[in-house]
Amino acid sequence: MSRFLFIFMACLLVLFTLELLNPVQANLIQPFTAGLAWISASVILPFDDTVISTGRILRDSVSGFAVSIEAGCNGVEASIVLIAGVLAFPASWREKLLAIVLGFMAIQSLNIVRIVSLFYLGQWNYDIFEWTHLYLWPVLIMMDVLLVFAIYLRWLSRSGETVQHA
Amino acid sequence: MRDIAFRQQVVTTLLLLLITFGLWFTAEPLFAAPAKWLAEVLLTTWLPGIVSGTISEPGALLIVTHFTDSNGAIALASTGEDGLAFRLNTRLVSYAIPFYAALLWGSRVASPFNTFAWGLFVLWACMGIGLSAMAAKDLMLVIGEPFLGAAWVAPPPVIAVSYQFSVLLMPTLAPVLLWVLQLRGSPLWTRLEAQLESSRNRE
Repeated sequence: MSRFLFIFMACLLVLFTLELLNPVQANLIQPFTAGLAWISASVILPFDDTVISTGRILRDSVSGFAVSIEAGCNGVEASIVLIAGVLAFPASWREKLLAIVLGFMAIQSLNIVRIVSLFYLGQWNYDIFEWTHLYLWPVLIMMDVLLVFAIYLRWLSRSGETVQHA
Repeated sequence: MRDIAFRQQVVTTLLLLLITFGLWFTAEPLFAAPAKWLAEVLLTTWLPGIVSGTISEPGALLIVTHFTDSNGAIALASTGEDGLAFRLNTRLVSYAIPFYAALLWGSRVASPFNTFAWGLFVLWACMGIGLSAMAAKDLMLVIGEPFLGAAWVAPPPVIAVSYQFSVLLMPTLAPVLLWVLQLRGSPLWTRLEAQLESSRNRE
């Protein structure tokens, strides 16, 4: 277990520092975050045609309310925690890659729910928006990471049992 | 059987989050007090020439410096003159406590009160360091050169990474790591170790 924790922390620190580098931010994180804003707007548009996405900003054309998706709101940090956990846990590279891709998609799916919910909460009540944004959603996203990792462990142990039976 | 145990953990944790967040919201100053005290000790010991003290407010910690704003330039405050101060939102780090409490009380651990007390001490230490990192970021931006030139002050990129880590990762990651380590001996821990062992054998 101590080996797992050591590799996990090392991966976490390396990936987190890499994520903060200017070239990574400019070429990867910012375009990805803008993509998230666009996807969020696309999810909302069939129900509400007043939403517009510009870069990392999601705006309501009627009320003028806007949210900007910043660091910590794009789910990248949560994904880094999952990637570090998957890399640290012994498995084949194929299994790790599959877990990272599917886990990333699971985290980002919930993150889009978070962005959409915050967009409407902010128009309804700013205090509730701030409380949910700063304190509640980060915890729910981390719970999602835990859940995805637990499902991955279960899948690993089941595929291990299948190999043993074969 | 396994699935039921894990599902039970997730559902119980989610339900407990409602209670623990409610308690934390009403009594945050109480939960954050030890971390605020630690941040004051750390900052005044580390930067005696920069930070003169702190003032505790509900949901915030005011960092008071020895500096003042003199016609737009930062200068040492003269005796009796009020120093520049800036407010840190302590809730940004203290929400780690309700999250940790929900995770721990949702698990079957031996002597839960003892375990929770130890966990709180570790979290308060993390929060104290986190508040110091937040203060360092503000000192770097507001005070600038006098702070960056002081002894034992890390270069700006290190301060930036420490701040981001303290605000973006620590409040949710520290409770999870602490909880996993404290699960030792519980059914969930035994399962995790067995899976780790079988995966290692398979590799």
